[in-house]
Amino acid sequence: MIPLAFLMPGQRGRIVTLDVGRGKARRLMEMGLLPGEFVEVISNSVGPVVIRVRGMMLAIGRNVASRIWVEVT
Amino acid sequence: MVREILVAIAGSPNVGKSTLFNRITGGDVHVANWPGVTLTRTEGYIEHHNVKIKVVDLPGTYSFSAQDIGELIAREFLVKEKPDVLVVVVDATSLEKSLYLAVMAMELYDRVVVAVNMIDAASKRGLHIDFQGLKSRLGVPVVPISALKGIGVGVLLDRILEVAEGKTIRRESLKIDYDGLEPYIYEIARHLRIKGALKDYPPRWAAIRLLEGDDKIFEELKKVDQDLADYVRSVRERAEIELGEDPEKIAIGSRYMFIDDLVKSCVARVRLATPSLSERLDKVMLHPIFGPIAATFVILATFFLIFAVNTGFPLNIILEHLGYGELAGLVEEYSLSGVLGLMFDWLSTTVGGWMNSLGYNGWLTSLITEGLIGSLGTLISFVPLLLMAYIFLGAMQDSGLFPRAAVAYDNLFRRFGLSGRAFFPAALGMGCSVAAVVSTRGIDDDRERMVTAMTSPLIPCQARLLVLLTIASAAFANPLHQSILTVSIYILSFILYLLTSKLLNKYLFKVEHAPDLLMELPPYHRPSLRVIWWYARSNTEHFLRRAGLLILGLGIATWYLLNFGPSGFLSNGNIAGSYAAMLGRLLVPITGLIGLPDWRYALAFEVGFVAKEGLLITFSSIAGVPDPIEALKSIGITPVKAISLALAMNYYVPCLATVAALFTELRIGKYVIITILMELGLALITASLVYWSALFLGFI
Repeated sequence: MIPLAFLMPGQRGRIVTLDVGRGKARRLMEMGLLPGEFVEVISNSVGPVVIRVRGMMLAIGRNVASRIWVEVT
Repeated sequence: MVREILVAIAGSPNVGKSTLFNRITGGDVHVANWPGVTLTRTEGYIEHHNVKIKVVDLPGTYSFSAQDIGELIAREFLVKEKPDVLVVVVDATSLEKSLYLAVMAMELYDRVVVAVNMIDAASKRGLHIDFQGLKSRLGVPVVPISALKGIGVGVLLDRILEVAEGKTIRRESLKIDYDGLEPYIYEIARHLRIKGALKDYPPRWAAIRLLEGDDKIFEELKKVDQDLADYVRSVRERAEIELGEDPEKIAIGSRYMFIDDLVKSCVARVRLATPSLSERLDKVMLHPIFGPIAATFVILATFFLIFAVNTGFPLNIILEHLGYGELAGLVEEYSLSGVLGLMFDWLSTTVGGWMNSLGYNGWLTSLITEGLIGSLGTLISFVPLLLMAYIFLGAMQDSGLFPRAAVAYDNLFRRFGLSGRAFFPAALGMGCSVAAVVSTRGIDDDRERMVTAMTSPLIPCQARLLVLLTIASAAFANPLHQSILTVSIYILSFILYLLTSKLLNKYLFKVEHAPDLLMELPPYHRPSLRVIWWYARSNTEHFLRRAGLLILGLGIATWYLLNFGPSGFLSNGNIAGSYAAMLGRLLVPITGLIGLPDWRYALAFEVGFVAKEGLLITFSSIAGVPDPIEALKSIGITPVKAISLALAMNYYVPCLATVAALFTELRIGKYVIITILMELGLALITASLVYWSALFLGFI
């Protein structure tokens, strides 16, 4: 299990937990970032991590992306 | 009598909700604020089959959880105003995501119509949607539409009327299987029903929300029944322990499970999408180095165009540099601001001549030709500036470029306690500071919204660009030197924008870390002129309505100060004896600090508060020369004075319209005053630094 922010562009992962506090977790889950969901990293260098989840592209701040734990698939 | 019904439109960001709203209402809309908050409320009227329909555009939200102000407003509207029909817009190309809000809406509300937007784009991508299947599974009318092309809108209106008249009534509200949560939902709903608490909401819905930990509803329950609230809390805690999972996660997961199941049975993908232009573009836009460069390039190119149309700059300077002096003059003269200026000059002279011939040549003529027509000219001159700024913003947003630019700039802006979103007001500020301040309402972090509203007026707007160019041309003969001065002021302004944001974050709001970005990046598409026009028009109208009277009123007050003195009305333009000049003389010790110890500059600053172009008008009337460049030369401008004047003019105070916008956006008088003092301070510091170092180095 590694933070989403550690994934390379093109890598896919499955969300395990959101270690971000209640309000933020709710927002993320409602946008489709649920534990169990598959995500693909589109770009990840400096700044926000851009991922694809549920057919939608989402930019997530690096802080938050470091606290979303995924299993690499 | 014509019947009237109330229809609300809800939808997540980027599903085309506003496009549908404008398509239905034909762009004839009323823009206002939701009570007590800085969130735009748009409504419009139409008539369909003899029924008058009032349409309200709800804030774009991802859910009805009441987590932020937009979600709360949307939910309260449904619960309190009970619209006859709620239209939920979903995106045909990403049903698996956009149906979430629709599902939440259908759990809460029974009179729903689902509008599946962008069906044209979906079929292009090889998506086949079984609308009949969706309809029978959801139990509400489902209408395929393309808001952009106007497909299906008539059918949608028919369905809206049918639901409003009760012709298509859902047999029972949408029931999602909440799996392990069900017994707890049942338990809480039963108690709510028995005690008759929270009657505004469906009991099952309220029970689910309470289990999910909806603070807003829990507070409401606590107010009416403390015992029940305590009981609900205990059920929630028990559920969490017994299920070994957060009820919130189960609830959201169950909704998405329902959606996945729905999409699986009703959507077929007949071919795989080929790697699109979108992906190739994103290779550049999301690149750590090329991204910011590309974003900057797009913004600069757009503003080059806007500036050239509105003011002639920088095309005129380039042409002049290439030796096409005459052409440069033409470009300047026939720029929008040039044409508008000519028009109002002509109007003022014609009316003046006409009044003179009727025997009126006293203050009344002056009031009408200078006071009234002059301020009307100021007001109208804002229109192209604002319109252009909004067209620019609309195009950037509609094409999907802006969110990418926010991602690109995020890394830089974080160092100053801002997120990439703070890039919008800064870019827009080059068009018009009013638009920049108003655009901060798109930022959802409250502190970041306030900070950027306070600092974005530092970015030179187009009005200031005009003044800046005039000052530069008056003091420097070489177009290259003129350009250097202009560009340096822009660069300095961006630096000051970031630095003051950092300082305000640190000392006023006492927060240092930047808010985290969480933003959807919609696929690129060619911006629709219609959508951009709707957007630009309604926003510009909104501004004119709000600030129009204020600008006219203060314009006339300024006219009075300029044309009246202790000796009464000053005929033949004897400005030196006016109240304004007297005030100017009082201000000389201050302008002296920046090397302009002359009441004429002080007077120009006074007038420039109404609108920054006022500086130029003042110089012209003091010198009695219509061309402000010649006027500035005649009052003895030097390069050092010009730099000092340019800096002071840019920062000393946001213009009147911007101050008005600051009041409505910040809603806290203290912050507006801090903004004004901060700008005044920056003007004094930068301009006096130039003046005193020039003095010290022996340039003067």
